[in-house]
Amino acid sequence: MNPLRRAMDNWFGRGEASITVPPMDGAFRPNDLLDSAATVLETPEPDCLAETSRGLVVSSGRSLFSVDRPDGAPLASFDTEISALAGLPDGGAAVGMIDGRIAFVGGQNDGGTIASSPEMRCITALAAARGGALLVANGSASNGPLAYKRDLIEKNASGSVWRIEPDAVARRQLAGNLAYPYGLLEEADSLVVSESWRCALTRISPAAGGRNEPVLESLPAYPSRLSRDADNAIWLALFAPRSQLVEFVLSERRYRRRMLSEIDPDYWIAPCLRAGQAPQEPTQQGGVRQLGVLKPWAPTRSYGLAARLDAAYRPITSLHSRANGRRHGVTSCLAIKGRLFFCAKGDGAVASCASEELT
Amino acid sequence: MTPPAQSQTLLLEMKNIVKEYRGVAALKDIDFDLRRGEVHAILGENGAGKSTLVKILSGAVAPSAGEIFLDGQKIQISGPASARRHGIAMVYQETSLVPTLTVAQNLYLGDEKFFNRLRGTYIEAQQLLQSLNFPVDPTVIVQALGTAKRQMVEIARAVRLEAKVIIFDEPTATLTPEEKHHLFALIDRLRKERVSIIFISHALEEALEISDRITILRDGAHIITAEAKTFSRETIIRHMVGRSLTDELYRPAAETRPPRLPGEKVLSVQNLSMQNLVRNTSFSIFAGQITGIFGLVGSGRTETAKIVAGAAKRDLFHGGDIRFDGRSVRYRTPRQAVGDGVVYVTEDRKAEGFFETMSVAENIYIGRISSRESRGIAISMSEMRNLAASWAKTLKLKALNNDAQVIELSGGNQQKVVIAKALVQKPKLIIFDEPTRGVDVGAIAEIHHLISALADEGLAVILISSYLPEILSLSDRILVSRQGRVVEELSPREATSEAVMFAAVY
Repeated sequence: MNPLRRAMDNWFGRGEASITVPPMDGAFRPNDLLDSAATVLETPEPDCLAETSRGLVVSSGRSLFSVDRPDGAPLASFDTEISALAGLPDGGAAVGMIDGRIAFVGGQNDGGTIASSPEMRCITALAAARGGALLVANGSASNGPLAYKRDLIEKNASGSVWRIEPDAVARRQLAGNLAYPYGLLEEADSLVVSESWRCALTRISPAAGGRNEPVLESLPAYPSRLSRDADNAIWLALFAPRSQLVEFVLSERRYRRRMLSEIDPDYWIAPCLRAGQAPQEPTQQGGVRQLGVLKPWAPTRSYGLAARLDAAYRPITSLHSRANGRRHGVTSCLAIKGRLFFCAKGDGAVASCASEELT
Repeated sequence: MTPPAQSQTLLLEMKNIVKEYRGVAALKDIDFDLRRGEVHAILGENGAGKSTLVKILSGAVAPSAGEIFLDGQKIQISGPASARRHGIAMVYQETSLVPTLTVAQNLYLGDEKFFNRLRGTYIEAQQLLQSLNFPVDPTVIVQALGTAKRQMVEIARAVRLEAKVIIFDEPTATLTPEEKHHLFALIDRLRKERVSIIFISHALEEALEISDRITILRDGAHIITAEAKTFSRETIIRHMVGRSLTDELYRPAAETRPPRLPGEKVLSVQNLSMQNLVRNTSFSIFAGQITGIFGLVGSGRTETAKIVAGAAKRDLFHGGDIRFDGRSVRYRTPRQAVGDGVVYVTEDRKAEGFFETMSVAENIYIGRISSRESRGIAISMSEMRNLAASWAKTLKLKALNNDAQVIELSGGNQQKVVIAKALVQKPKLIIFDEPTRGVDVGAIAEIHHLISALADEGLAVILISSYLPEILSLSDRILVSRQGRVVEELSPREATSEAVMFAAVY
């Protein structure tokens, strides 16, 4: 773009510099479907769902739990937090840790581990690929999965996608410079990645030299994991809403720098999995009391959203937990046996509803 | 509202009125009478002769033959001033105010005192407007007012002239329900003061509600005059068009067909702002669907549409973003928008829709010249003729010929010219703003059919209308606008009149 034009756009706040967010309408029309779904498991910060030979499994903290048999006992536990999970064709599960290791539970590699490497320190998503390989999304080159807010505020686009062959030795980078890849879905000759900070889905074609092309852009929320259902439709979890306030902060370089260095991350103006009620939260302090109800002046920083896309990645329908809902921070959803299961990480619940009610 | 029994004394009689234009009869031997203190509705399709009849009465048009009696005395109405001297005032469908003068100056136009004291004029105007319950500032320049408020000024002017006969031509077309309620109360008050009212409207329910008698014209001929209570909506339509259109018009879409599925997102309006008229509004438009936008007057629908189409400008600083086909756009002129395939069909066709002294063919060809397929300034007369003939046939345009001036056409046919002018530009997104305002029921059905056909062909269609049944019958999704922003989205299944109106008001 012409530098003069860019400078003018920055000054006027227009064009690429406009501080706007896409509307939640059409297929993203708000409803309360996430809130009306039945709770199947309550556990702190459930993050990722996967289908294995032991049924539906969810990661929560350092453990894996069965969603089908919620007796409270973990299926497996590790010495560090889990950041990603994928079901494998052999019935096992691949478990990504926040330190970059990948462990296998069940299946033919049960008990095996792939050691961490310097280029994969932020595993955000895993997926089984053809030929027994494993696809790995590395969200950021500089921040771990727990520091996702910092990665956004720093406006990084250092994520990458890797392919690890069955021998666990050969690993190949399929794409780089991604803005926090947080979900993976393999297709016939390509794979689709959800890029959280670009609020878009991107197709990566390894056969075409890693060429990227947008599949779905201008999402109204930050996307995370992807899954495919039996009808070949795609389910996309979106973990937090976009807001003009956050977009504004992202456009203010000095403000961001000071916020990073001086403010506790819990109180940053940034998307989060659950906005608290604490008066210290900057966006809540200006609340006004109307008719006895305290209403925040600022938009919510957390939200619950899962969307169903058609085979061409066009949104068809969506499920919401609105600002006043209790199913915020949806990081994973999976449709199996006629039901949709989702993790509301912000509110510590795995819930489900009948898929047919949604179409 | 139940009309009170009015006096049976005849105030006005028109006998054997004939009006011909170039040998074509616009009125054929019409008899019409008006009792003292009655509200008399004249109904008919566009082109039926209603406007011509009242124009004769208001002195704007001279009859070819016939007589007019007022209080039993034969009178000659030689012009508008003559009509006013006889106590006949007209409130026009398209207002006749001077846009560069203030409201008060318009109210007293022609009656200025030799030593005119502006402050005194303002005070008098303020008192007049307050007595009518019209929230209009007398010191405001008229061009700054919206259509509804201009209409109020027109009505106030007629009331001020203490007219014996007031002719209302489509007075409610731009009014909100509340303003309409005020107007009807005012008409009732005038009726009690034994002022006679001639009421022309396409809203049949209004005619049934407000009038004592109804006269129906068709193709320039008198069909029937009878007490209003003897009519129903169906019988009126049957008399107007000679067939029943009730089933054709205004049946909610949810009862007739499944909504069209959305195609690609064509337009995304994000946090758009324009002063206090459009306030941080956001919505999306999809291909292959009709998106209806409903809202009361002043809800910012038209302004939003004009910004999208390059006919108005958003705020200079942080005015929001418009993404068309995934690309951020900022049109400075409508031509740029037309170039991309965004076309706006205006709500005010007389001021913005056509060149009234140019022919039908020339007006349609102007649309072609500004389109993407334009060949610059080169004009092909044969292409102009072919284009006009083709669109006249497609849209069933009724004109003497394609060289007829647009001003000579009825409202419905003028609207068809405006639509043809838009469609020759081969749009991807077409915005219809009040497409059937001032249009007769026959033409309404044709325009509705056309709008549906465009969506079926895969175009993205925005339909802005203040008439709720129109929105409900055509739209595949309904957006409700209030105070400058879209506040609600409803599917046809959810969109009852109550639900839409609730969102529009509260």
